[in-house]
Amino acid sequence: MTSMISNGFSHWLATAPNTRDSAKLDWLEAQRSAAREQCIGLELPTNKAEAWRYTNLKSLLEQDFTPAKAAIPALEGDDLDKIFIPELVSRRVVLINGRYVPELSALGDLPTGVHIGSLCALLENDPDAVRSRFNQSAIHSPFIALNTAGFNDGVVVLFDCAAVLEQPIELIHISTGMNQPQVAQPRHLIVLGDGAQAMLIERYIGLEDAVYCTNAVIEIALGRDAVFRHERLQMESAKAFHLTGLSLNQDANSRYLGVNIGLGARWSRTELVTQFIGEHAECDLQGLYLAGDGQLMDYHLDVTHAIPNCNSRENFKGILYGKGRAVFDGRVLVAKDAQKSDAAMSNNNLMLSEGAEVDTKPQLEINADDVKCSHGTTVGQLDPEKLFYLRSRGISAPLARRMLCLGFAGEIIHRLHEEVLRDYVTEQVGQRLESAPLN
Amino acid sequence: MLAVNGLHANVGDKEILKGLDFAVAPGEIHAIMGPNGAGKSTLSHVLSGREGYTVTAGTATFEGQNLLALEPEQRAQLGLFLAFQYPVELPGVNNTYFLKAALNSIRKSRGETELDAVSFLRLIKEKLKILHLDDSLLKRAVNAGFSGGEKKRNEIFQMALLEPKLAILDETDSGLDIDALRVVADGVNALRSPERSMIVVTHYQRLLDYIQPDYVHVLAKGRIIRSGGKELALELEEKGYGWIDAEGQAA
Repeated sequence: MTSMISNGFSHWLATAPNTRDSAKLDWLEAQRSAAREQCIGLELPTNKAEAWRYTNLKSLLEQDFTPAKAAIPALEGDDLDKIFIPELVSRRVVLINGRYVPELSALGDLPTGVHIGSLCALLENDPDAVRSRFNQSAIHSPFIALNTAGFNDGVVVLFDCAAVLEQPIELIHISTGMNQPQVAQPRHLIVLGDGAQAMLIERYIGLEDAVYCTNAVIEIALGRDAVFRHERLQMESAKAFHLTGLSLNQDANSRYLGVNIGLGARWSRTELVTQFIGEHAECDLQGLYLAGDGQLMDYHLDVTHAIPNCNSRENFKGILYGKGRAVFDGRVLVAKDAQKSDAAMSNNNLMLSEGAEVDTKPQLEINADDVKCSHGTTVGQLDPEKLFYLRSRGISAPLARRMLCLGFAGEIIHRLHEEVLRDYVTEQVGQRLESAPLN
Repeated sequence: MLAVNGLHANVGDKEILKGLDFAVAPGEIHAIMGPNGAGKSTLSHVLSGREGYTVTAGTATFEGQNLLALEPEQRAQLGLFLAFQYPVELPGVNNTYFLKAALNSIRKSRGETELDAVSFLRLIKEKLKILHLDDSLLKRAVNAGFSGGEKKRNEIFQMALLEPKLAILDETDSGLDIDALRVVADGVNALRSPERSMIVVTHYQRLLDYIQPDYVHVLAKGRIIRSGGKELALELEEKGYGWIDAEGQAA
């Protein structure tokens, strides 16, 4: 019996946007009902669909998720200590259970030409600023449609031409106080005008050991010569589910530098879909994931070179231990006229146990004849020579293993721009490896 | 300090060491020379605890302890150090972090307090001078992208930092030009002390011009076929391994 999206996820559709008055926007309502219709018409993906071949929706469907409640639980001082990274200087935006919390956000004075704020607030106050950019995603995932139909709130970042913000914007997603399984659906929109420069650190944190789901959608549009650093740190609770659908559009000469760190959640899926709309743009996607007992980390990359002279790098590394599982499904498509495209994709995995599993599938589809494209993948174990070298210096076997794992992860961690964040991630990775069964 | 008696070791089914006997007292430098395939590296590896070797007979005792029953890190913690013939590259593992982890692991095993970042850095800068090494080494990953000479100097630098009681230098001269050899040898000589012993494993006599041994052992086909003073090394240089091999056959 086939099951429809709308049956499996009926509750997800029920969320209404968090607008305070009833000023309905016709265009938005039209988009949301179209998305709803789409969900009603879509079958639930099964393992027969290539994009879902290694990832089962069963565990997600088994949960009876209801939409995250509008009432935002109060946080204690202890909780805030767990969340904030004290030395990290940032323009901070906090979302709790998918909703913008002004009291915990600290944006400071923003320079002229920079807008950072709640999506719902902007829809209410200046909907035209959103309208032409909203829901332009090229991702055909049912979860994007679910998010469009049922998003709670989110953050809009708008940079006018040549606007520059020195400090990173820190977007913290907190999940808390969910007594029964709830789904939060944040929706973000980032638009950088020509020559604008910004950096976003996106963090996902679960405060309690609860079952919940985050279904985030991020749409990014970079103007000509814009530079955007985007660092994402997924540290959801151990019982949580996490979905990200990220869509990126890059105009000529723009640069996107993305680092995706996946450490948390029981089940997580990240879809990164990028395209170039102008020449000489550069897209750099780096990733690091750790998966231990009972964890699934699933990454789908879809990089399209439809325009000549663009550059893309896709470099993901994974450490798997216990019965951890990961999926890397990366595709680079070079269209017929996209000459001088330069793309390199790699996925390297370190397996620390017999029971761990990775399904890795980098693919290049090249339809142009003058391109430089490569892909490679490795699945290996710790090198006994390296272990012996460390142990011969008096370092215990467990510490030696951890040092080598951190060395392996270091290549990606070092891509993080802020030293504070590099230290923080190194610490987090180290802690997980310390408690991991390394055999 | 070290007593090796009747040591036999295999790699797989193949017997490489066929009954070795020698003893090293505190402060002594012993050279182990021999042609390729004599078992020199096997001896270094068996003493330091590398996997892949089976000791089938004999003993190796270090300061009264059965060395062969210990894990590699325990041997290092007791004061054994192996300078590798081919130092391993550890991309992503920062040299300073590595050196601190090593030193503090050893200190901890001896019940000493671990060094904090400041005292560690002070110590390490002092040791860098011995090997004429640049500070920038500390920021790099262990041996990653190092030249052959830098790797060997880094080995001796680690030795200077960890201050072992017994150091085994496994073909430390291989791949070094004469200038690099001199720097490495000067570093080793600076570490000589009445308490510290060394086993210098080498194919060529050349290194022994710079590091003068107290004793020379000639290893061939898994056995020590001759032992003597440093003049034995010169004789070998002159006559070649064929000479001793022929004598060994005759005897």
